[in-house]
Amino acid sequence: MDEAALHARLAASGVPGIGALDRSVKDPFVVVEPTSIVPALTWLRDDPACRLEMLHNLTAVERPEAIEVVYHVCSLAHHHALVLKVRCPRPEGGTHETWLPEVPSVAGVHPAANWHEREQWDLLGVRFTGHPDLRRILLPEEWIGHPLRKDYVYPTEHGGIPLELDAVPLYERDPASPPPPSGRVRKAGEPLFQPPAPFSSRPLASGGRTVEPGEAPAGGDGAGAGGGEH
Amino acid sequence: MEALELYAVDDSREVYTEELKLNLGPQHPSTHGVLRVELKMDGEIITGARADIGYLHRCAEKIGENVSYLQFTPYTDRMDYLAACNNELAWSLTVEKLLGVEAPERAQWLRVIVCELNRIASHLIAFGTYGIDMGANTPFFYAFRERELILALLERPSGQRMLYNYVRPGGVAHDIDETWLDDVLRFCDHFEKMWAEYNTLLTHNRIFIGRTANIGVLPKEVAIAFGVTGPSLRASGVRWDLRRDVPYLWPYGELEFDVPVGEGTHGTLGDCWDRYWVRMREMMESIRIIRQACRRVPSGDFMDKNLIKIYKSPIKPGPGEAYLRTENPRGELGFYIVAAGGTSPLRCRARGPSFCNLSVLETLLPGCMIADGVAIIGSLDIVLGEVDR
Amino acid sequence: MGVMNNSLPDIGPVRAVDSAIGWGRKSSIWPMTFGIACCAIEMMAVYAATFDLDRFGAGVPRATPRQSDLIIVPGTVNAKMAVRVRRLYDQMAEPRYVIAMGACVCGGGPYVKWGYNTVKGVHKVIPVDIFVPGCPPRPEALMDGILKLREKVSREEVFARRVRTARELDARSI
Repeated sequence: MDEAALHARLAASGVPGIGALDRSVKDPFVVVEPTSIVPALTWLRDDPACRLEMLHNLTAVERPEAIEVVYHVCSLAHHHALVLKVRCPRPEGGTHETWLPEVPSVAGVHPAANWHEREQWDLLGVRFTGHPDLRRILLPEEWIGHPLRKDYVYPTEHGGIPLELDAVPLYERDPASPPPPSGRVRKAGEPLFQPPAPFSSRPLASGGRTVEPGEAPAGGDGAGAGGGEH
Repeated sequence: MEALELYAVDDSREVYTEELKLNLGPQHPSTHGVLRVELKMDGEIITGARADIGYLHRCAEKIGENVSYLQFTPYTDRMDYLAACNNELAWSLTVEKLLGVEAPERAQWLRVIVCELNRIASHLIAFGTYGIDMGANTPFFYAFRERELILALLERPSGQRMLYNYVRPGGVAHDIDETWLDDVLRFCDHFEKMWAEYNTLLTHNRIFIGRTANIGVLPKEVAIAFGVTGPSLRASGVRWDLRRDVPYLWPYGELEFDVPVGEGTHGTLGDCWDRYWVRMREMMESIRIIRQACRRVPSGDFMDKNLIKIYKSPIKPGPGEAYLRTENPRGELGFYIVAAGGTSPLRCRARGPSFCNLSVLETLLPGCMIADGVAIIGSLDIVLGEVDR
Repeated sequence: MGVMNNSLPDIGPVRAVDSAIGWGRKSSIWPMTFGIACCAIEMMAVYAATFDLDRFGAGVPRATPRQSDLIIVPGTVNAKMAVRVRRLYDQMAEPRYVIAMGACVCGGGPYVKWGYNTVKGVHKVIPVDIFVPGCPPRPEALMDGILKLREKVSREEVFARRVRTARELDARSI
């Protein structure tokens, strides 16, 4: 069955909150209300004509206006697949520290979702209610922040391990001096998104000039003239 | 008489044991990378297991949001570093789906040959390291001997032994030289003889069978529910192979090959031996595919001409999204790209097969002994680069 | 050894004993089986038959750090793993050597700009003796690194006490 037939069966199934089939992209998707994602996936898994029994992928996507959780389910018996989406609109001024949208967990329907949801919680901060064990999976347990958000600030160190390019190695640090400050404290007025530190500007020993990507290398500049600047 | 009575066995006494928490840590010769498994054990028997991953988390998805589509190809290599061309193929096909282009015919056939050679190389490592896990050190050397031949073959078109950056959106990066196809065919003949040798080493070895048969039985329903794909799923009896069922490269639809499925030959259906045997037979099926493909490579372009012009500056697909899955040696790799019109994706998600295959470990391990636990981890054939990305 | 280290004058016979000991030490550097990422596969290829590390005496990999002399760090080290790498290094008994294999551990590699949890070079965490660049380095490159390590080990002085000029110290620092 193609997506239109699957969507028609789902809409006629009696599960509330099923939206229209959005065909504007290569893989047409169905937007579903957050409260009805669990019954919808259960119905799709159990219906003999659909038999969408494998949850292939669970992703969360941060767009400027909302966070979407995308479910790719596929069937081994019938060779078809469907994409469902749940949208959580962003409230006014929702940042990666203040806004953690909540979506019901589908780990009871598809056990594969267990680890996928943990990963999306870890990287994007989407809280899955009803998940048996929602904790970080890829990053260390005590990591602060959800890195895949667009307004994430890169840390300079974590748990004493330096994460910057120019950091002083651990064994060269003076034990008496205080540890370097963590990069997560943001001062008032500082912009939300801070790009990671640029490469340290050290002039090349040969006196040549490094070229930033996207720039054309300067022609007859002379090797000596470009030595000091970067 | 007292001395004899002292040593008589007294069954009425009870032995008190405690639960032992054992850490199968990130540095371990048998965990195929930096995987940590926290084990709760009652003596030798595992009663609970928790997999702790993330020791190789290299921020691939965040990097994908900051570099261009072509620049991300080498990062996909490094996810499943044993089957680099298959990862690049999944990424390239997804980008081509977004752009709405198709690679030229010669490029498609070259992609098939290169990806199948990579599949054999990957399964060779699975075979060699599985022997080491079981305590047999010899298969490792045999496997790497053939793997060096494959790497020499793959080095000729791409320039790299392992992380090729060869399959790119639009086609392949470089053309092959005149003698490459003949050398590939000669390798196929050589490999068939060597495959028979591998079977004398491990496959029918009584000790190996004793260590892997009836161990780690993965029922079909559990495998599908946990999203397990690839040889681990096929060993449980499910005849599902994307190359045959949903061909993502049209040459696969024109080639003749079988899909090996586990049959429970030496034990229960879906045990470790079945997973191992499915991989071994897949190597021979790949040889069959390569032989047919080598005879069908047409002359022509190896890279889409429009894309070569576009590559002068970074490509900018219009807003949209695409999801595509391919059959990797370890399972189904899926790339989900959300494009918002810039030079980098808005979201680039890699669904790694090893991530889903590993999630079934917490159900497979309890109940078996610790040595069997090592056999189970080895039979799932995971690569931590793909688990952690 | 031990209490006699670096305590004898630097004359011919002492130097001869030192080179003999150096020759013995360089021929049996036992690495630890430690593989993190892609470079580990090339390291395994070096142990295997085509490139054979055993002919340099380094083909007895020990699984435990307490019994090994050398730790080859192949593959990206991130914040979670750096703690464990430090712990492994601390468990090794002196004299211990470190080879940083691959671009990721030499200076961050491909993950240097946008990696939020990668350590930009394992030398931030443990002192490194030899850096082997490449992504991944060819097995020949890793063997070259091990040969350079052998030179470094063979030149170490066990018994002789030699006063050196700054220039000599600089020249010896490879």
